[in-house]
Amino acid sequence: MISSVLLGAETTSFPVLPALVAIPLLTALVIALIPGSRDDYLKITALSGSSITAAFSIWVMAAFETDDSLQFVWERVWAADLGASFSLGIDGISLFLVVLSGILFPIAIMCCDPGHDHKPYYIWLMVLMAGSMGVFMATDLLLFFLFFEVVLIPMYFLIGGWGHGDRVFAATKFFIYTMAGSALMLIGIGTVAIGTARQTGVLTFNVFELAEAQALSPDLARFAFIAFALGFAVKVPLVPVHTWLPDAHTEAPTAGSVILAGVMLKLGTYGFIRFGLFLFPQAAKDLAPLFFTLGVIGIVYGAVVATVQKDLKRLIAYSSIAHLGFIILGIFAMNTQGIEGALLQMVNHGISTGALFILVGWIYERRHTREIAALSGLQSAAPIMAAAFTLVMLSSIGLPGLNGFVGEFLILLGAYSAAKWWTVVAVTGVILAALYLLWAYQRVFHGKAEGDNATMADLSLSEGLSILPLIGLIIFMGLYPKPVLERMEPAVETLVAHLEANIDGFSEPGNDGVESPADAEDLVKAAIHGAEGEEGDH
Amino acid sequence: MLALLAQTQVQIPEIVWSVLWPIVLLSIGGVLLITATSISPRLRVGSFPAAMTIVLAGASLVTLPLIWSKVRDGGGQLPVIADAIRIDAFTLLVTGIMCASLIVVSLLLDDYLRTEGLDGPEWYVLLLMSATGGILMAAANDLIVTFLGLEILSIAVYVLAALHLRRTKSQEAGFKYFILGALSSAIFLYGIAMIYGATGSLRLTDIAQFIASGNSAGLSPLTESSLLLAGMAMLLIGFGFKISAAPFHLWTPDVYEGAPTPVVAFMASAVKAAGMAGLLRVFIVAFGVVAEDWRPVVGAMAILSVVIGAASALGQDNVKRMLAYSSIVHAGFMLVGLYAAASGAAQTGTRSVVFYLFAYAVMSLGTFAAFTLIGGRGDQNHSLSAYVGLSRSNPMVASLLAVLLLAQAGMPFTIGFWAKARVIIAAANGENYVVAAVAMVAAVVAAFVYLRLIVTMFMISEPDEAGEAEASGAQLRISRSGLFALGIAAAATMIWGLFPGFGGDWFGEATRALLELR
Amino acid sequence: MLLNQFLGLAAILFCIGVYGVLTRRNGVMVLMSIELILNAVNINLVAFGAYQGDVGGQVFALFVIAVAAAEVGVGLAIVLLIYRNRRSIDVSEADLLQG
Repeated sequence: MISSVLLGAETTSFPVLPALVAIPLLTALVIALIPGSRDDYLKITALSGSSITAAFSIWVMAAFETDDSLQFVWERVWAADLGASFSLGIDGISLFLVVLSGILFPIAIMCCDPGHDHKPYYIWLMVLMAGSMGVFMATDLLLFFLFFEVVLIPMYFLIGGWGHGDRVFAATKFFIYTMAGSALMLIGIGTVAIGTARQTGVLTFNVFELAEAQALSPDLARFAFIAFALGFAVKVPLVPVHTWLPDAHTEAPTAGSVILAGVMLKLGTYGFIRFGLFLFPQAAKDLAPLFFTLGVIGIVYGAVVATVQKDLKRLIAYSSIAHLGFIILGIFAMNTQGIEGALLQMVNHGISTGALFILVGWIYERRHTREIAALSGLQSAAPIMAAAFTLVMLSSIGLPGLNGFVGEFLILLGAYSAAKWWTVVAVTGVILAALYLLWAYQRVFHGKAEGDNATMADLSLSEGLSILPLIGLIIFMGLYPKPVLERMEPAVETLVAHLEANIDGFSEPGNDGVESPADAEDLVKAAIHGAEGEEGDH
Repeated sequence: MLALLAQTQVQIPEIVWSVLWPIVLLSIGGVLLITATSISPRLRVGSFPAAMTIVLAGASLVTLPLIWSKVRDGGGQLPVIADAIRIDAFTLLVTGIMCASLIVVSLLLDDYLRTEGLDGPEWYVLLLMSATGGILMAAANDLIVTFLGLEILSIAVYVLAALHLRRTKSQEAGFKYFILGALSSAIFLYGIAMIYGATGSLRLTDIAQFIASGNSAGLSPLTESSLLLAGMAMLLIGFGFKISAAPFHLWTPDVYEGAPTPVVAFMASAVKAAGMAGLLRVFIVAFGVVAEDWRPVVGAMAILSVVIGAASALGQDNVKRMLAYSSIVHAGFMLVGLYAAASGAAQTGTRSVVFYLFAYAVMSLGTFAAFTLIGGRGDQNHSLSAYVGLSRSNPMVASLLAVLLLAQAGMPFTIGFWAKARVIIAAANGENYVVAAVAMVAAVVAAFVYLRLIVTMFMISEPDEAGEAEASGAQLRISRSGLFALGIAAAATMIWGLFPGFGGDWFGEATRALLELR
Repeated sequence: MLLNQFLGLAAILFCIGVYGVLTRRNGVMVLMSIELILNAVNINLVAFGAYQGDVGGQVFALFVIAVAAAEVGVGLAIVLLIYRNRRSIDVSEADLLQG
């Protein structure tokens, strides 16, 4: 199975994956060279550079062949003596995360202006885009780690330079937390590569070769898994190490929050799937109960704390913790539905939370406050914004017919067969999500508009255009998730087969409940149709 | 009489001058420089001494590929002067570091001396001598040569540290450095005497052979000989002082703070690289066989260095002191690599240290170059507050310094990442998980220190806070040569960060020279 | 041969020297203490060399004497410089740098 991943590598003549990294970098360079007198060109340059990248990522999705192979492979020797290579590739697991990053960046650039120091702001955003593209495409552990760490720098400067409130503190906390997490990951990477080299005689950091070898002793594998997991857990974030997230999200500029929620939180969960499960199946299985617990704690804790937030942006930040808890639950269910749901939910969360942050950013721009108590009755002044907010919020809650539902449903389905009682507790999270989001919506948009609230401007045309793609995706993926699911499925199935082959006495638990993923899709469809009537009003 | 002379003629060893060009160029060039400027005082002023130093160092750099082709034809290692000196890839690599450091420091010093109103070729002569000493330390296959190299290196730097004749701080720094340095070289020397007593030889390769055969023959278990152990411990103290590893680091912050900043750049890059090179040569070549014996001590020094360095750096407000403590952390990282090399990962461990000393030389040169530029007249602006709003007043210097600081923090796509990653991979190879974990945690703490400086430069920009600093920033005169030096260092940081194999496999060859060619 | 006696003498000199460096406040006295350590080394080297019938030790001792002279020269120059600026060679008064 894995060998098919290795051998089925399809190479294209045009190195499209390096281009996905190079175009944003070139754009950053161009922006750096624009003279200070022509500040008005900065945004349009950044926008076109990121849009071209987005177009390429969409082209990749269209040209992607629906099988479990690693595609568009591009590989160059990098540090020869270490066996590190600059190797990029895309499979069903990473495909949509690349596309998501591609789409979110132009939108984040279009939606909001930095207010001051435009030039460095756009440079950092483009560097961040290059890093986020690279991190999902890297198939070499060292390269992954490089991208994983390098995205910290632009994000750190974005939060610290253009954020609000106590931005420097938030930026530094974010940086140190993430770096501390990934510090041990480097040791883990070394352990895996060296441990495998002792068995096979070849020092390599290629994740597929390492996963296939499975050469580590159980103790060492557990140690390495924990080292990786610490790094990912901070990024996700899982509950004991989550405290950087509300600060960073709240103080970041809007574009920063969008990218942070949409792309960077996914690094952790993507890492768990791509590296955690793939490299250390047995260790991951052994520690799965721990992660179920942490995931469920995240779901409930995030929801409860979100409920009592006074700041709208902070509320969304905590809702992210809850959503990511679901994703963790799905990943450690270790069956096709769970992982597929988790992957889908990663994309969904990126879209809907990104959209929420953009909307809150606009409210803040107009009203200069995010205090829920200071806002009320915005619906009458800004009906279009209210409608958009409703739709995005319902998607975030997981209303059937919108994208959030499909992912959440698959996760719960997968998790139920793997960890029944945890799933039962997690379901309360769904209910709480409805509670805190609807309550917040009610306080902000309903009621009587007074003072500035009554005269707030509605969405402008350009604002409407920038949020439209996200709304389109929310509806499209809710009604017709098949194109996404079917591209993910082969890769996920291969992963699950890999897990089954390498975990003692483990067969996919999902098989008892639901026969095949095709059935899962039908189930989703049935559920959607059943719930069709509920959608649409607010 | 003549017949008697002929009979007792001392056998003069054959010297292959053609591979000694860098040593000859730098030392003789230094002597010529001081002679020329004494004869013609006109040459004392102006940029002549700096230009000549740069030319000498540049010429030495140019000879390196030629020498390497000779050395490669000779099997990778050429014994010169009756095998007291070995010219191999490792020697050449350290020579390269010394020359690069000379060039960058001369670029800085030229402008520094002018603004301080000091003149004199003495600075450059001392730099040239010191660099020669460093090369000798790396090349030595004989403890006498190691000691001579160490002393030539050190004595020149004691003087350089104290050479700012009007700053009392500079003299104090020089004196402190001298007292502790002299004490440590004396202890080092005592250690050499012990080794000599235990093994009967001063030649590194002979010592190694003696220890090895003593082991295999089952005769006098030399690994337990107290003389040898005491000798190795004392050598470690001497080297530990030079590379400022804890617990022999106490001088570092004071001396870094007091000494003229270009000299600090030289101390952090060249002196530390030379000390580490000597340590590697002696402990890998001569004592590699008894690695088990010195391993725990090196491990303890490594852990102490990273922990003490990182923890003490946190509380500093003077950037030179901050970077002094950070240099202790870096020394600790190199020792982690050496510890791994002693724990069974000889190849990866040694190689990681070789790469690390190169990387640290590049990063520290750049960082202190920036500090020289920002320090301004009288080396005054070294408090953190002098860096407020620097990204506005001097965006170029601020960005380049940020690159170098991020490199020191081990951020990806900089040379610092590869240095750190190699050490950690080596530690994993030696199964030193605990040491590696401690080192990485300390690295995170140290990263906080660099971030603090970056925050000050880039993110504190409220007019009320920055008003004063921007005024001083406007006065800041950034010399072209200094900016060029800073640019070189930052470029090297990025080039080797993006292409870790840039320029061929020197590091692999240097490692091979240490490990395989005995 | 009386190797142990020589080594013992050297060790005593060494300890006196280290003690002097650490406790003396007069700069010149500190320099003298360092000289003591270096001479302890010389005794060791010569003793080992004679014991092993190898000239290496004695050659090294000559080198050490030369280097020691250079070192003390530099040391005295620095002490003199400080004396000119501060009219004192008391080491403990050199406290401009926060230790």
